[in-house]
Amino acid sequence: MANRTDPAAKSIRGTNPQNLVEKIVRSKIYQNTYWKEQCFGLTAETLVDKAMELDHIGGTYGGNRKPTPFMCLVMKMLQIQPEKDIVVEFIKNDDYKYVRVLGAFYLRLTGIDSDIYRYLEPLYNDYRKVRRKSPDGNFMLTHVDEVIDELLTRDYSCDIALPRIKKRWTLESLGVLDARKSVLEDDFEEEEEKDEMEQDGLEEEVAHEKDYYRARSPARERERDWRRDSHRHRDRDYDRDRDYDRERGRGRDRERDRDRDRDRDRDRYRLREEKEYGYERERDREREGRERDRRDRERGRRRSRSRSRSRERKRHGRSSMSPRRHEAEDGNAPEESKKKGKKEKKEKKEKKDDGTDHPDPEIAEANRIRASLGLKPLKL
Amino acid sequence: MIEVVLNDRLGKKVRVKCNDDDTIGDLKKLVAAQTGTRADKIRIQKWYTVYKDHITLKDYEIHDELIEFSSIGMVIVVYVGGHGV
Repeated sequence: MANRTDPAAKSIRGTNPQNLVEKIVRSKIYQNTYWKEQCFGLTAETLVDKAMELDHIGGTYGGNRKPTPFMCLVMKMLQIQPEKDIVVEFIKNDDYKYVRVLGAFYLRLTGIDSDIYRYLEPLYNDYRKVRRKSPDGNFMLTHVDEVIDELLTRDYSCDIALPRIKKRWTLESLGVLDARKSVLEDDFEEEEEKDEMEQDGLEEEVAHEKDYYRARSPARERERDWRRDSHRHRDRDYDRDRDYDRERGRGRDRERDRDRDRDRDRDRYRLREEKEYGYERERDREREGRERDRRDRERGRRRSRSRSRSRERKRHGRSSMSPRRHEAEDGNAPEESKKKGKKEKKEKKEKKDDGTDHPDPEIAEANRIRASLGLKPLKL
Repeated sequence: MIEVVLNDRLGKKVRVKCNDDDTIGDLKKLVAAQTGTRADKIRIQKWYTVYKDHITLKDYEIHDELIEFSSIGMVIVVYVGGHGV
């Protein structure tokens, strides 16, 4: 039958290799048209041809949890179990990035720990774009190195639970692997020096940085300024910003990694990207960061006073979202959005406060969960 | 605020407080927070009508009702209205 594993295949982690994929997802794959039409009787060679035709990765999507062709090919590889050499060839090939990702994924599922680190870490240097199908059916942009990072650090990807592998330092202490040598160690050292000097104060740093990074692109400088500010503001507001960034695909860590990995060509490319996304937002965020600093200091002083709290609440009651949003659209963009950002943040913070300190503990608990999921509090 | 009770045919019973303008996607997240399954593995349906993620509870006219759902492995299915399955 088409769905049976090759009887000559070895068992992986003590079980039929196809069982690495959960039962429900597996059934979805077997019922999928792509699987039935294209993946019938595939061998290692013909599988390569199919893999070259891939143009996106992803897990299951849509209301029916339809699997992507990527997943079907992963399943096929698990079924036929190609040799390790073939898989390594998949990974080493440079021309077809989706073949590379497919090979990396299969190796992550079936390989031994040291092999996984050894073969997947060089792929961190591959920064090509990759199209990813999100669970609601739309496409998202990601990069090969991001996918590899997900494979090496998370334990769930593309709707397949990845087997547990030992941590890198465990393997290093066993002597199986060498310590990780990043290709961009020089950049690391520059970053460290810069971090050390952060404690000395803002103006000094700005002057120093302007000297130090004169050669860098303005976009990068701006990002660094922003990142420097965000180091300082570890409060709830910052978490919200971070989530917002992550949504837009630019978490702080990812930003840092992506910065390190880029050379000049990529810089130019990113400037173009950033123009699309509106780098004015970064400028605003910088300003907002400094605003927030000032505001936090004020708020800290006032927090214990009940009178000020009622004053804040009154302000919250009077202000409303939509007129201000209209305001922000016309007129001076930076100033208005700065003001709007300040007021929005204050409002959001107050709303959160109001939600989670409800006298009824059940409602307070429910509001806490809702806040952690990013939902508005309960309307009572 | 409405309270929706989702009843898994395999023994999971979950009471979720939510607003009527929450979407089904939000409801799934809340259910996931309480049951521990992943939100994208939950399917909520009423008597073979699968509820879509982007529509609000108010539009589906889900009020304070006892909802029955069953799970097939990791899929939680909601039958609204208790019409008996």
